[in-house]
Amino acid sequence: MTTLNVRTGVLSPHRVAAAAGRALLIAVPVVLVSTFVTFMLGGLTDQDPASVVLGDSATPADVARMRAAFGLDQPLLSRYLLWLWNALHGDLGASWFTKIPVAQSIAERLPVSLSVAAGALLIAVVLGGVSGVLAAVRQGGRLDRAVTVVTSVLATVPGFVAAIALITVFSLLVPVLPSGGWAPPSAGLLTWASFLLLPSVALSLDAAADVARQLRTGMADTLHENYIVGARVRGLPGWRVVLVHALRNGAGPAVAVLGMHVPRLIGGAVIVETVFALPGVGELTKTAALGGDVPVVQGALLVTIGVVLISSALVNVLLVKLRPAARREI
Amino acid sequence: MSVSPDAATAVRAPARAVRDEVLLSVRGLRVGVADGSEVVHGVDLDIPRGSAVGLVGESGSGKTLTCRAVLGLLPVGVEVTGGEIRLRGTDLTALPAAARARLRGTELAAVFQDPASYLNPSITVGAQLAEVLRVKAGLGRRAARQRAVELLQAMGLHRPEHVYAQHPFELSGGMLQRVLIAMSISAGPELLIADEATTALDVTVQAEVLELLNDLRRDRGLTLVVVSHDLAVISQTCDTVYVFRDGGIVEAGPTRRVLRAPRHPYTRELIGNHERFGIDRVREQGSGR
Amino acid sequence: MTTITGALRTRAGVIAATVLAAVLLLAVSGPFLAPYDPLENSAEILRPPGAAHWFGTDYLGRDVLSRVLAGAPTSVFTAFEAVGIGLVIGVVPGVTSVYLGRAYEWITLRIMDGLIALPFLIFAIAVAALLGNAVHQAMIAVGILLAPSFYRVTRAAALSHANAQYVTAARLFGASTWWVLRTHVWSKILPALVVATANATAGGLLIVSSLTFLGIGVVPPEPTWGGIVASGLGYLAQVPYGPVFPSLFIMATVGALNLLADAIRDTSGDHGRARALSRTGARRVRLT
Repeated sequence: MTTLNVRTGVLSPHRVAAAAGRALLIAVPVVLVSTFVTFMLGGLTDQDPASVVLGDSATPADVARMRAAFGLDQPLLSRYLLWLWNALHGDLGASWFTKIPVAQSIAERLPVSLSVAAGALLIAVVLGGVSGVLAAVRQGGRLDRAVTVVTSVLATVPGFVAAIALITVFSLLVPVLPSGGWAPPSAGLLTWASFLLLPSVALSLDAAADVARQLRTGMADTLHENYIVGARVRGLPGWRVVLVHALRNGAGPAVAVLGMHVPRLIGGAVIVETVFALPGVGELTKTAALGGDVPVVQGALLVTIGVVLISSALVNVLLVKLRPAARREI
Repeated sequence: MSVSPDAATAVRAPARAVRDEVLLSVRGLRVGVADGSEVVHGVDLDIPRGSAVGLVGESGSGKTLTCRAVLGLLPVGVEVTGGEIRLRGTDLTALPAAARARLRGTELAAVFQDPASYLNPSITVGAQLAEVLRVKAGLGRRAARQRAVELLQAMGLHRPEHVYAQHPFELSGGMLQRVLIAMSISAGPELLIADEATTALDVTVQAEVLELLNDLRRDRGLTLVVVSHDLAVISQTCDTVYVFRDGGIVEAGPTRRVLRAPRHPYTRELIGNHERFGIDRVREQGSGR
Repeated sequence: MTTITGALRTRAGVIAATVLAAVLLLAVSGPFLAPYDPLENSAEILRPPGAAHWFGTDYLGRDVLSRVLAGAPTSVFTAFEAVGIGLVIGVVPGVTSVYLGRAYEWITLRIMDGLIALPFLIFAIAVAALLGNAVHQAMIAVGILLAPSFYRVTRAAALSHANAQYVTAARLFGASTWWVLRTHVWSKILPALVVATANATAGGLLIVSSLTFLGIGVVPPEPTWGGIVASGLGYLAQVPYGPVFPSLFIMATVGALNLLADAIRDTSGDHGRARALSRTGARRVRLT
């Protein structure tokens, strides 16, 4: 793929479509594997819905009838495909215990989880970005060393410890923010934000530390390149040299690592939801799993996988747009 | 390219009367490295307005560091430890970094070796040129784009709109150097430093770029400082030459005189090597058979 | 073992190794060192750290120090278990994907991509909980989710050396694939693998403590470091420093593992050897 496309330029629609096609081709097996594994979880539990629903007094005939009603007597592969087909049409089945449609439960809770994840992503970008850039610009100085120490320490802090520490400081010692609970945006943006802030920060710390470290390294290398001297010799002001020229080329590894954190942000939200008592999808999954409510678990995992895949794809697009010259190396 | 004294006289004198006003003067410049050693030991330079001055010497002789000191772009760990650099009377070494940055592009400019590496690989060359016009010359977006295309054409690039939209990796060395020269003069500086600007280019392209620099000097009154290890390049473009060696100047004077009657043994050695390994010698030998 | 001894010559390596040795010692002998019975309730509820109870007591009057010591084996060894599983599942396909043909390579790449796409923690929770909430099943889940990083690391190391000239030379001399793997490639993969293992153990410990914090994979009232933090959560207002001690143990262990991984990476492999040479002043030969 090293052809010099002199006539049409680097980002022609043809090339974007080809790149999207390739990404799709890789995505399909990934989707199949992850959804299949998700589906297989149902087989892990040795309970089955028939006996759960009917209770201990059921006869084998009753159980067999219920199993047929649930469609459990079909072969594995067809059950999997049927489940996937239904899911793509919005039907994720119903809870074995409460009979509430899974899609409904998830829809109620998804906004909470997405708000926290999006908030965490934003905070990670801002915190990590600012510290990374500042550390790179003042290489070897006190700020640089401080950033290195802080990011190393943050890498050892488990999510729940960070969450608890934040609660201790901002809810107990200096009571400015609530220690848990949730209010939707309709109850007032400021209220919503106050419930969102601590959980988002707690969730973001791991990603922020990684982004800061990668950005510092990437930018430190970039700042030694000749084209930075070129930009300076043309008299461009320092902030412009750093933010327009250096950042564009040095941010690649940081964006890539951010992309790797997206699944962790979405999947790891369960810790934050537990500590802060947030009614999110993660918390739903955990309770359902502990109770053996398979359809809920499968549905929630499927939705989570979907969100992860979409956001990873978006991050990849962003990466490509940042450095068209890098595509030549593909 | 021959180095004979006649080629030196082929340098065209600037169209308007040569003013003796000194544009840039360097006195006793000393540059040191963090570990204490000195790499430039007391350099004196006088660059009259409208002239073309050559700095010649081997790699490591201090000519590039002198230019970097003038520009205020010494690498980390290297700094000016003594002397002064005066641009039209103002001592540059006494200015804060932000003030020196403002002077670059509008008063002082430079192009270097390996043009591709001095451009941002992720942005089109046109956008980078327009950026300089917007930031340093205060033009609006559309005006900057238009002026950029005009400049590219003036630098001898055919199909300037097409070149505008290319990324650096899509253009040849010669084209990129023209783009960089366009960028360097876009805000109207008085002084242009060409540090080994033609060294990495093919010989024919080299000649074209040198001619471009000569034209700029003649038509826009640009003052040139040409840094090279190649005496042929110096003799083609410069009125005056300073010979650098080991961080100091061993000889200086009008190019004609220095090439015809070198006074310092090192200068003689330089010229001697040029003659021994120049193509004229081989051609003479060939015709003598 | 030169991989690790090189790291031990650095100051960071020594610190890391000392901390880890202490943790391992605790993991083995912890329960026996506990001054009180970790499961014994008492009337001294939520006491601050003091002479009688170095780490204080929890909401049931149990001595926190004893619980932390007693929880050491579970917390540490289960992490090892997960890493071990991940290692086996990841390394074998990782190395062999380079040598066993394109189809096999493509399949393993896609499977690993699929595993990476799974949101980690929530998946481990689901698997562990559905499997009956026992420790070992949870570790299998964590192991499966750790496998892709082992796969990537060993595959990258094997790739970079598979095409090396000395391998081609060996092949030309008639060496079999197995011999090449064993003699040449393995010694190149080993440093990267050791570093990956250290990092994975750190990550595994973090995940395990998160799981036990959530109540997954524990059988109460057995103490685990994550579980001790969880039990202190409800009483944060009265005893804000409650979760501090088990958290410090977790952080110290994870930090030491990361430090050791960095030390090993800096002193072994091609990169590390070059650094070591420059440190001892050996001149680098410039060939161009």
